[in-house]
Amino acid sequence: MFEQLTQSIRQKTTLSNAEEETLKKFFIPKKLRKRQYVLNAGDVCQYIIFVEKGLLRSFHDDASGHEQVVQFAAEGWWISDMNSFFSGDDAAYNIEALEDSELLLLTKPAMDELMEQLPKIERYYRLLMQNNIVALQRRVIASLSYTAEEKYVKLMDSCPDIINRAPLQYIASYLGITPETLSRIRKQVSTSR
Amino acid sequence: MATKKTIAIIGATEKSGEAIATSLATGKNRLLLMAGDAERLDALKAKLETASASAEVDTITCSKEACWEADIIIIANPHEAATEIADKIREVATGKIVITLSSPESSAAEELQTLLPYSKVINSPGTAFIDDYKLYSLDGRPMDEIHTRW
Repeated sequence: MFEQLTQSIRQKTTLSNAEEETLKKFFIPKKLRKRQYVLNAGDVCQYIIFVEKGLLRSFHDDASGHEQVVQFAAEGWWISDMNSFFSGDDAAYNIEALEDSELLLLTKPAMDELMEQLPKIERYYRLLMQNNIVALQRRVIASLSYTAEEKYVKLMDSCPDIINRAPLQYIASYLGITPETLSRIRKQVSTSR
Repeated sequence: MATKKTIAIIGATEKSGEAIATSLATGKNRLLLMAGDAERLDALKAKLETASASAEVDTITCSKEACWEADIIIIANPHEAATEIADKIREVATGKIVITLSSPESSAAEELQTLLPYSKVINSPGTAFIDDYKLYSLDGRPMDEIHTRW
């Protein structure tokens, strides 16, 4: 139930067995079926979510009902509405399961308590946040100046798994292109590789 | 818009379990009914769906799976095999609210709290004779939803 989490933490810091056991008590184990939501926009986001198994997407619904996919989260990934989680504002995003999933949920009070009891976890989160910022910066540049093909190739190189598991309309939305363009690019890319 | 919670009712086919399921099957939250008898569960599910078109009800015969999916856990028969139930669900009930349905004099809730140290066990008193079980908040308002912030 905690394999992915402990593996993720061990990549960035060391934990004794006792520390690992302490850590586990802070997380809420939650199974989510495909198409169930763990967060609705307008609610306050209570959790940062770690994916042990399965696949989630976060998306924003604009006023005209158009859905914009913000992020995917597969095994070993974290996902949340960060602003809502840290500030208590209403969430702007919905988070939905694209497959039956097993999650570990961490509330803000639990996170604060965990960091106090296990200071090593502060380091883990600092490194996660660092990587997150770098990834976000790259995504902004890609969004603004990459061609559709370049965006697709970037995703294919970094997360080929997601492309096989998520519905193509969501991949297209994530990349900021139409499903038709995505189809065309996929054909092109598969014939040229 | 509040995110729908999954409320697992362990022992849903017990009198108190059925009563609370009926009062909660409004569609505001998803109910996950658990009991050993799959046929009785299906009958209860059908009854709840007939009574309320917006009810969202699923059934399951495994208490561990039910509690794993749950955001909130209700145990309708906390006296029976409390140790056994607790052993099955302990891991997946971490951090969750567990509501026991037993009379105020009973110590079932305290016993269960000892068995589930990382859950928050609350007793919601009722009697064995009630037909119509409703949850009331502390100030006397009837509740058909349960808030989890504790």
